[in-house]
Formats: sequence, structure tokens, C-alpha cells
Amino acid sequence: MGYTAIEKVLGRTSRDPAHRGGVRAGTLLYPEPDMVMIHDALVKEAKREMDAAGIARVHNPDKVLMVSDHDVLYGSARAAERGAFNRKTAQTWQIKNFYDAGQGGHGHIFPMESGLVLPGMFYFDNDTHSTNAGAVGAFGMRVGNEISRVLGTGTTWVTVPRTVQLKLIGKLQEGVQARDIGFYMGREIKAKRLAFDLDYRILEYGGDLDQLGFGARVALCSTATEMRAAGVFVPPSGAILGYCRKHAKRPFEPVYSDADAEYDAVATIDLSGIEPQVVLPGNVSNSADIAESLGTAVDHAFIGSCGSGMYEDMLSAASFLKGRKVAEGVRLFIVPGSERSTKRMLADGLMQIFVDAGAMVLPAGCGPCNDAVVGPLASGETSISTSTNNNTGRFGPKDARLFLGSPATVAASALSGKITDPRGVSQDAALKLAMETAYA
Amino acid sequence: MPEFNWTLRGRCYKLGHDVPHPGGVIPAFYITARETDPAVLVPHLFEETDPGFHTRSRPGDIIVTGRNFGMGQKGAGYIAMQALGLGLLCESMSMQAYRAATAEGLRVLPRCPGVLEMCETGDDLEMDFLKGHLVNHTQNRVADFEPVPVALRELIEQGGNAGWLAHWQRTVGAQEQARGEARAGT
Repeated sequence: MGYTAIEKVLGRTSRDPAHRGGVRAGTLLYPEPDMVMIHDALVKEAKREMDAAGIARVHNPDKVLMVSDHDVLYGSARAAERGAFNRKTAQTWQIKNFYDAGQGGHGHIFPMESGLVLPGMFYFDNDTHSTNAGAVGAFGMRVGNEISRVLGTGTTWVTVPRTVQLKLIGKLQEGVQARDIGFYMGREIKAKRLAFDLDYRILEYGGDLDQLGFGARVALCSTATEMRAAGVFVPPSGAILGYCRKHAKRPFEPVYSDADAEYDAVATIDLSGIEPQVVLPGNVSNSADIAESLGTAVDHAFIGSCGSGMYEDMLSAASFLKGRKVAEGVRLFIVPGSERSTKRMLADGLMQIFVDAGAMVLPAGCGPCNDAVVGPLASGETSISTSTNNNTGRFGPKDARLFLGSPATVAASALSGKITDPRGVSQDAALKLAMETAYA
Repeated sequence: MPEFNWTLRGRCYKLGHDVPHPGGVIPAFYITARETDPAVLVPHLFEETDPGFHTRSRPGDIIVTGRNFGMGQKGAGYIAMQALGLGLLCESMSMQAYRAATAEGLRVLPRCPGVLEMCETGDDLEMDFLKGHLVNHTQNRVADFEPVPVALRELIEQGGNAGWLAHWQRTVGAQEQARGEARAGT
């Protein structure tokens, strides 16, 4: 019996030499991570916990990537204080890879774009959305507050997750995007038509994946994470490996599951049958074909987050917004995933398109998706966004209605002021074409 | 340091299946506020389903739950359970819920199939978490479950992540640091 990708990666990093070739699901072990990541919202708590234990230094500062993405604008005095505390901590801990506000962008996007997270890697992260690493065939594992233990001692315990495989067959219809696949999967699991339990599983994709670019692969990681997956694994294509080689800041070795690896479950989705999806308020698994919510008036729209903050997503939004205006009464926030993307948006003219359309472009990071530290809703308002989830109260008031859609659906809806099928809205052909080579 | 007590004896407090952490265990407010002070959290444990629970619970009491215990955002409720000296037996709980519970040092077993059926609220229970052996003295029944894994025993004995870190610093970290400083010639 062969091993799955996660079983191989955790085997490689295990402190137990007997695990070297691979380690079976269910085994409890202490891996030596290739990297440790912590974001701005948890540095203070981790520092306090380590200080209380008398641990003044980080086990291996060179392995640590500290990012500021959850709150980069400091909309309150409290946020500014936290930022100052984080800067001081980075200095005390001698963290070289500290990407402060305005420097890197979203911690689950820019490290992949800039060759810090690479195929076959394993790292610990305090945050759930570390699963994004699967877009390049790496594994980031969330340990929450226990990141203090990893920072202080170099590791913590992990139980090797089981893996489920979802094969994507066929081609997406025009106007349907990778986020729609995730939303559709969520609804199929909820309806029990897809016999998957994602809780602490690795969701491995298979099938016709070569058609999916970097941004689409990132989008594929989102919904499963909200459904409690421990990780996502998109076997890296030749194109992805090419990009990673070009930008790699360290050597890497891609890992793939063996042909006879043991999966918890295997299922197939026919991509050609998927309509644009809109997730109805309350939970990411509340998805339905867009027909069900067409015409719903919206006050607020947002394109970004770790699920849709790649350059392809920016290009997609721009292809709809070019030469048009956001509807009266709608505020549209655009949040690129990285400073790198912000610069490209300036160079490529996307920034002009967004500003001309009346959209508000925020600095790279989580944007409103971090519990609306920026861009919240008022009571009774309605939003459509590419956020990671639409749990009640995520954007502030509990009575606000939060819909989710793909970047195309959100852009089309922001233009009309109501939930709109992107298939009926024309796109700028050159920008649409540019999506295919966004990460060439 | 006194020997750690791996056996709890107390009354059963029985919950059903699919009890979420926010609301079902502790009001969501304290979780999103990242409240960690046991004194603040204890009065709110099971507040929405059983107000005043903390005034009736006694150290050694054991919470017995069905499948999928503690879904959703988590953390604060386990701090309160630990402060009250409670144990936890679940037919099943997610890995992240289990992580959050052990990080607080809670004596918890996440895989106790059939436990719900053999206990009622108020039963006199005796649970050895090291052996995985449960005795229901009231109903005169016994069961065996997977015990606390060897690799996590020290974490629980030291009272969770914070206590374990302090223990590590005393036993390992300080020496590592001294060696590092000697190498650096400081």
C-alpha cells in the first residue's frame, strides 16, 4: 500500500527515522517544520504565553515567517498598539522574515507567489487558512494558540490526517470559476450527495487539473477549509512547478500521492454541469445555483480574501469593471492578495480601471474578511463577496445578509446593484485572456 | 510536585450529539473576544442551556457527550471546564476541538463509542484516563476506551500548553539556551 502526499511529507519531517518513507494516517508525531508562520492577530498572545513560561527566544528565528495581514490599516488605536507590539516582538525574536503592514500582503498568498512556500513543504501556522499552501502542493497545518509551543520549542504534536480525493472531470462552463467548484462541493456534501467528511481530512484534487491556473488552485482551497479540512492538496502541474522554480527562495522537492495510496473516500464532480453558485447567508455550504438569488439588491461588495486574492481574480474583476461604473448605492472593495499584485495592478492599468469604476482598492491583506476590521456593514444591509465564509455576523451586524460568489459574480453584481449572472455581462477580451498567463 | 491525578470520580453531566462550542458550551461572545481568564469564563459555562451550572458542578464531575462535540469556534469553554476540575468523554469530537481541549490540559477522551448509552446525568462515574477504563457505579457497568496517548500525557500532566511550556523551559529550554550562549562565547 502506497502513501498519500501528506503521509510522505509528514514522514519526511518526522523526528522518528522509521517514518522517513511515509507515515500512516492516524499516527501521532512531532514533525520538524520547514517553516513556522504567525500572523499579526496572534503575535501578542504567543509572546505573552512564551514570556509567562520564561521563554525569551524563538527556537529557530530563521524558520519563522511573521506577516501582518489581518489588520494593516489600523482603524483603531488598539490596532495601532498591536502593530507596534508586533514590530517590537519581531525585533526581540530576531525575525528576519517579518513582513509588516504594507510589505508582503496576505500571508496565505504572497509567500506562494514569492517562492517562500513551495511544493512538498510542511509548515506550522496559527491560522486555519494555511490550507492555501495546497495550491502549490505544500502543507501548512493550523495549530492555533499552540503556535507558541512551536515558536518556543520547534514543534508540536500532529496526528497524520486521512485523505479524501475529489476528481474534477470535464471543463467549466464560460463564466463559471474555481470558487464555484468549492461552493458546489460544499452544497453536495451538505446534501449528502457527496459522501465526504472533510473534518480533519486532506482534500486532494485529481482529474482534469491542467486547465486550472495558480489562482484557480488557490480558490479550490477555500471552501474545504471552512468545512474543517486539515489541508488541501492540488497536485502541482508542470506550469505550477515552472513558476515555483522561477521564484523559489530555497530548494524543494514536489511530492505526489502514490497510485495505490489509501483514500478515505473518492468521488467525482463533472465540472461542465456546474452553474455559477451563490452561497446564501449563514454558512458556506448554503450554496445554490445563481438563479435562486438573482436580483437580490446589494449594498456592499468585496473581491479579495485568501480565497480570491490572486492576480487572476483581480484581472477577472477588471475585465467586468473596465469602462463601467459600480451601481449607485453600492460600495465595492477590492483587496489584492499581495503588494506584488498591487504593483502589477498599477503597471497593468487595473488600478485605473478600478478607480474609474468607483471601486475602493484597499492595501493587500485580508481586507473586510477579517471580521470586518475594515469595510463593515450596517444593520439590515446586504453584501456579496468572495470572503472565505459568510457566517452570521462576519461583517458586523447579525442581521446583515451575507452572500458569497465568485469574483466574476461579485463584479457583475456590484455593477448592477443586484445579484447578477456574470454570463450575461460582457468582459474585456484582453483582460480575460490575460488571466490565462497571470502567473506564467 | 504531587502526583497527577489521572482518575476522576464524580457525577455524570450528560449532553447529546452535535453540541457546538459557541452557544452549546459557552456564549460565542467570550470566544470571539478571546477571553482566557478562568474567573471570567467559569460563570458562563453552559450558560445558554443550563444557567448556574458552575454553582452545581463539583471537581471530578465528568461531562459525557455524543457525537461531534464542540464544533465551531472553540477554546474558552475548555478553560472553564479545566478551572472547575471537570473531565470530558465524547463519543466523538473533531481534531481541532480535541487540540483546543488538550491545550488547556483537560482530561478528555475523544473516542468513547457507546458512552452516551451507558450513563445518565447524576450517575456516579469513575474514569481512569490513563487506562481508558470507565466505571459507572450507579448502573454497575464498565467500559474501556482509547486512553490518553502516551505522547500527550506530559502535556496534560503539566496542565496544558502554558504549563507544559514552562516545564519545557525548566527542563530543556534553559539548558539549550545555556549551550547556545556558551557556543556564542557570551
